[in-house]
Amino acid sequence: MLEQLSYKEKDAFLQHLHTAAVLTYLGVLLLLPLIIAHPLYLMGILFAGILAIYVSGAVEESMPFLVMGIWLALAVMVVNPLLVQNGSTVLLYGPDLPLVGRLRITLEAICYGAAMGMRLLCIIIAFALYNAVVHPDKMTGLFSRFAWKSSLVVSLATRMIPATARDLSSAKEVQQMRGVDFSSGSFRERLKKYSWLLEVLLLSSLEGSTATAEAMQARGFGSGRRSCYNRELARPRDYLCCAGSVLALVLAIYARVKGYADFTFYPELGALAGGSGLVWLGVIMLCLLFPLILGWGCRHWPYLRSRI
Amino acid sequence: MALLEIQDLIYHYPGGAKPALNNINLQIREGEFLLVAGGSGSGKSSLARLLAGLIPEFYGGRLQGKLLFQGNELRGEQRHTLNTHVGIVFQDPEKQLVMTSVEAEIAFGLENMGLPREEMFRRVSEVMTFLNLAHLKKEFTAQLSGGEKQKVALAAVIAMHPRVLVLDEPTSQLDPVAAGEFLDLAEYLNKEMGYTVVLIEQRLERCFHLADRLLVMEQGEIKCDGSPGETARWEVEHQLPFIPPVAKFFASLNSSLIPLTVRDGRRELQKYLSPAPFIENSRESQTIPENGRASLLEVKNVWYTYPGGREVIRGQSLSVKEGEFVVILGANAAGKSTLLKLLAGILKPDRGSVHICGQDTRQLSLNELGRYVGYLSQNPNDYLFQDSVEDELLFTLNNFHLPDNGISESVLKKLKLWELRQANPRDLSSGERQRVALGSVLVAGPRLLLLDEPTRGIDYRLKAELGFLLQKTAASGGTVVMVTHDVEFAAEYSRRVVMIFDGMVACDGPRKKLGESIFYAPQMARLFQGSGRDVLTVDEGLEQIGGVL
Repeated sequence: MLEQLSYKEKDAFLQHLHTAAVLTYLGVLLLLPLIIAHPLYLMGILFAGILAIYVSGAVEESMPFLVMGIWLALAVMVVNPLLVQNGSTVLLYGPDLPLVGRLRITLEAICYGAAMGMRLLCIIIAFALYNAVVHPDKMTGLFSRFAWKSSLVVSLATRMIPATARDLSSAKEVQQMRGVDFSSGSFRERLKKYSWLLEVLLLSSLEGSTATAEAMQARGFGSGRRSCYNRELARPRDYLCCAGSVLALVLAIYARVKGYADFTFYPELGALAGGSGLVWLGVIMLCLLFPLILGWGCRHWPYLRSRI
Repeated sequence: MALLEIQDLIYHYPGGAKPALNNINLQIREGEFLLVAGGSGSGKSSLARLLAGLIPEFYGGRLQGKLLFQGNELRGEQRHTLNTHVGIVFQDPEKQLVMTSVEAEIAFGLENMGLPREEMFRRVSEVMTFLNLAHLKKEFTAQLSGGEKQKVALAAVIAMHPRVLVLDEPTSQLDPVAAGEFLDLAEYLNKEMGYTVVLIEQRLERCFHLADRLLVMEQGEIKCDGSPGETARWEVEHQLPFIPPVAKFFASLNSSLIPLTVRDGRRELQKYLSPAPFIENSRESQTIPENGRASLLEVKNVWYTYPGGREVIRGQSLSVKEGEFVVILGANAAGKSTLLKLLAGILKPDRGSVHICGQDTRQLSLNELGRYVGYLSQNPNDYLFQDSVEDELLFTLNNFHLPDNGISESVLKKLKLWELRQANPRDLSSGERQRVALGSVLVAGPRLLLLDEPTRGIDYRLKAELGFLLQKTAASGGTVVMVTHDVEFAAEYSRRVVMIFDGMVACDGPRKKLGESIFYAPQMARLFQGSGRDVLTVDEGLEQIGGVL
């Protein structure tokens, strides 16, 4: 999997947005689940994230993230009621456990665990989407004006991932043909065998880094003041997407402050859907889905595409 | 006035007792195409680094003498200025790229020069259009083919508008098609765009005719500097191998004209040919007794598809007997390396079977197969991590629980590594590293030796050593199967060739089949095509001509 980078050109709307616009959108997708714990809101954000992955044609690339996220979410859901004794609706009494005391599974702790799992999944999806729609060079280009050294390090590291994965696979094959059996022996012995592979990779990487440094120097790196080749153009669609994303964030903060997006888990579960809470959710979702709606519009209406 | 001039230059790498460049005096004229040949460690790459201003700035060390650009000392020049004088493309397409996308890679040097954005955009656009890279501009550099990577590296250098292009073995890691395309570009840049080109190369048959001048380097010194024809004569006199077959052939005949291409060679050959009786090729007439030789490798109707869905091997069958030396040829992505991995048991066939010494590879683990099969991958560095050369060999023996019994000493001596047995493998040259990797495989006494592109990036002399070694291995009962793009090597040393096209065997027969091939015919076969003579190598050509003179 690592032999291919996650980003693949899919001609998706989000991929063609200005990097600042798409980063704003992803930033909002990341911040919203941190601000709000209301299960319906979290479901909405999760829906928006999954929809964004789907319309960007990145389901296959994001699948490892999604699978990992679902397992983590389930783990949080299971572990939370085992460790948290709060909540008034007891579903099950268990045996006495050291440190925890008597096991007491409550409905509230299960629901809280589920909400936290969903929150985690939303965050993982935001990162999966980042991998699928942000070209690494666009990212480094955006930041290279004020942090070009860090941007360059990121770029070099990104390039190294597929090359190192290829080298690792090749080195492992070679060592196996030389009689190294990676599946046999104690844990310590196997660890030692894998450390040989790391040695091979480390030595080759060090040699490779000298060659790269030489090539960089030959092209004038570090010889004086640099300029920045970033020719990304901002279109109306970028401003519209930024506006939609920022509005979603502002509205979510407002709803949180005013209590429309609050949900009580302990000691008893609060009401899931109140009238004004749902209205706020609808408006925030509309803002959050706005870039995706624009993308759909651009795909189907050439006129809209030409205007924005 | 020369564009570039080196005067009385001596250079030592840090800690180096011997000079890497010794007493160099050289003038390079504007618009010249200079070809530099020589063995590994002869100082060719050091010369390239010197011209590109990387010696001593990047490497340090001691330097005496002068390097002048249009009469002005180049040393101490600002890197920005230097980039407009000399640009360099390196050997390894992977390691010289920095950015993740093609467009950003081309712009990288321009950013370092501090050019305004409009100027950078103009140059990047022009270069991408000129080199036909526009369709790749958003592609990840890591996922380009070797040829595309080298083209991007060249584009990145051209964008900086240097007057001299130094190309340090740019085709050594490429397949023949990509290498040919790259050299065509170098020729165009020289002939049509007026660039001064300094090309350092090991595989001279493709670029010999491009050169105005040829330098031969040995032990850090320029041993010969002249036209390709003059240099070819000098090399034959001094028994140096750094000339392509056709030039070597005519220089050996002491011809008044040394043709640089097959076309010119055919004209010249007419002087030497007469309707004399055909002499049977002495090498083809040496038949190997078939009786008693057991089949060591049996491939039956093998199919293989990669997990991504790409079907690479399609119904291949192959039988290899003990003592055979088989070369597998084919274009890029034809399935050669995949087939070799199937033979080694690294990949298991989806359908069909591979039997080695009568055992199905699907039933054996890799380390069990390692007792029968030695596998040398494309990159010798994958093998090297021990502190000494000797330890690398002992590592393999220990893994297979084999006693040493003097086998490591014998292998080290056979591979001319005995003197280097205590050296760290990573301190050795690329040719020596490859021999260490080969030694670490041979020490287990495999009955089948599989090699993936072992001649890539090594010089003629090392190739000859490898060729003789593999012939000796086959003669002593070992079986050798080798994947290569190097048809000259196949013609010189193998006994049987298998050509693969699109995952299927297109041709399987004795080495003389190479002479019948259109694309894979070695230079000498193309030279003698239509003459009714069965010639694949210089020696065979001389034998034929010797017979009619």
